[in-house]
Amino acid sequence: MNKTININLGGIFFHIDELAYQKLKLYLDAIRRSLSDDPQGRDEILNDIELRIGELLSERITNDRMVINENDIDEITKIMGRPEDYSVDEELFEDEPKYRPKTVSKKLFRDSDDKFLGGVCSGLAHYFGMDVIWMRLLWLVLFFFFGTGILVYILLWILIPQAETTAEKLQMKGEPVNISNIERKIREEFQDVSSRVKDGVNDVTEKVKSSEFKNKTKSGLQEIIDTLGKIILAILNIFGKFIGALLIFIAAATLIGLIIGAFSWGSIEILGFEGNYIHYPPFFFDSIMPMWLLVMFGFLAIAIPFVVLFMLGLKILSSNVKSFSTATKLSLLGVWIIAILGLSFAGINFATQSAYDGVHNQSEELPIMALDTLTIKLIGNDNLSNKKELRRSYSSESVYDNDVEKLYSTRINVDLKSTDKETAFVKIRKESDGKSRLNANKDAESIEYEFSLNEKDLLLNGYFLSDIKNKFKDQIIDITLYLPVNSVVYLDSSTKTFLNDVDNVQNIYDGDMPQHYFKMTENGLECLDCDPSIFGDEYKKDNDNFKLKIDEKGVELKVNDGDKNAEVTIDKNGVLIK
Amino acid sequence: MKIENTKAQMRKGVLEYCILSILQYGDAYTSEILSELKDAKLLVVEGTVYPLLTRLKNVGLLSYRWEESTSGPPRKYYALTETGKLFLNELTTTWSELVEAVNLVTTNKSAKNE
Repeated sequence: MNKTININLGGIFFHIDELAYQKLKLYLDAIRRSLSDDPQGRDEILNDIELRIGELLSERITNDRMVINENDIDEITKIMGRPEDYSVDEELFEDEPKYRPKTVSKKLFRDSDDKFLGGVCSGLAHYFGMDVIWMRLLWLVLFFFFGTGILVYILLWILIPQAETTAEKLQMKGEPVNISNIERKIREEFQDVSSRVKDGVNDVTEKVKSSEFKNKTKSGLQEIIDTLGKIILAILNIFGKFIGALLIFIAAATLIGLIIGAFSWGSIEILGFEGNYIHYPPFFFDSIMPMWLLVMFGFLAIAIPFVVLFMLGLKILSSNVKSFSTATKLSLLGVWIIAILGLSFAGINFATQSAYDGVHNQSEELPIMALDTLTIKLIGNDNLSNKKELRRSYSSESVYDNDVEKLYSTRINVDLKSTDKETAFVKIRKESDGKSRLNANKDAESIEYEFSLNEKDLLLNGYFLSDIKNKFKDQIIDITLYLPVNSVVYLDSSTKTFLNDVDNVQNIYDGDMPQHYFKMTENGLECLDCDPSIFGDEYKKDNDNFKLKIDEKGVELKVNDGDKNAEVTIDKNGVLIK
Repeated sequence: MKIENTKAQMRKGVLEYCILSILQYGDAYTSEILSELKDAKLLVVEGTVYPLLTRLKNVGLLSYRWEESTSGPPRKYYALTETGKLFLNELTTTWSELVEAVNLVTTNKSAKNE
């Protein structure tokens, strides 16, 4: 017993049994595909063919046999010919032979025939032409070592379409979509299915018998589930498109930014604008590579992933977008790797530039004896720096010294200490980082620093100069002035920001010390003309037990000896003793 | 190289000429053209003809009209256009030249072989 279907073929009405119908439909579909080169004429040709098939079939219908069966269809296909016979040589109708691409582009699909979870791995394996097992192992590693692997897998599961039609399955494997391949594929699938059906057929018939009554209700529930599934799919689809749009937007914005950035960066250099408009990243200095190469590497290293992202976004939004050819992909990957390697090389090179600390010491005697008064001043150079004020700073700037670009830095610490010697001396300690200890020492030594003694004025430069390449070598100068006990020193206001933790008897902050006279004692400096209010807390605490204050109000004397107090005040009210 | 393919190629080449020739003696509908070609053993399967007819029509060598039929649905009648006639004349000359040339070559060769 076979179900029959009513069809209209070229205006004639036929009863056709189901198997014959399937066969006829496959045949017509195959013809449609083989005519796909010529979409305008296709429908017309197909109409003609249907008309003719109708005519031929109507000749076979007799009163005894009303229904068209498989044999009829087989006969018809014998008369009409195989699907390939329908394709006409294009050269007959075209002036120039058509170019037919030899290479078949692969498309990324999920392989539903060979799946473990979603068929993502097998699909990717087909796409990259590798064995599925390696792809699966790779993903397994990603799952375990990087949690994001799971997320990416799920994302791919959602975004990559499943290969459903035979044509898609062929595209997935990179085989050309033509009739013979489709036929072969269908035959393979048919065998697969039929063997499975054979195994399950007994099982199924029993199940069908027992569930014939349930079928109706089940199909209702099935429908609801199907509908829900469709809704979810639609939402996911929109979500996917949204991600695609987002990817395109981000990638495009980044690329435009990069291009503008790289262009202006490069052009400022080329056009030779003067000055420090741009702050180059650290390893642009003293790099073994030329600057333009670094800029290019940096640009490529960032831009290429975004180009790929851009294409990915486009592909998500529209399946018609052609992806790059394998050659383009490989060369992009190659260029990217080279850029990354170049950058890493430069980075490692830069890191080793400051691997070691180097020191250079220099000591000079000053003709300053006990009881002499020395003035310390820090002087800047208006011709070099355009900064208004001379002060210690951790940043440096580039300046021109006799037309040579140099690094100008004010990172100088000044300290004052006592010495047993009879004359004063100054120690200059220069520090620098370098590739090796020796290099660092040399760099430290090459720092240009000067000071001079003008009678009793010690004039220290408030800055030092060094090679422009040394910007990130942490260069610093410590100046320690050793004074004999009982000598007096006056700190000029210019020393204010340069003094660094100067020992003094009264615990005065460095910032409060300038513009005062100090006497050198064995324990450090002692201020001669300071207001006690600037004395440090510790000093005040130690000296709280005795206080003598004489001013315009009168005389105030306080003595504190632990638990006993004594106070004498003399002012306009007279003498008060407590 | 399969002999079947070569045969098919040879037939396909002259099919166009034959279809135009059939139509010069009067309009015909698809089945008539097909049966005439089949009778002459020029055609093994019918499939080849349909795309050819459509394309000949599309380049303006043929025109068609629908005609009612007493037995069944309307039929598609093809006719030669003016350009089709000129085209056919040219083809006829070429064909006779070709036949002559082929005859000459093949007989010469067999004579030499003997």
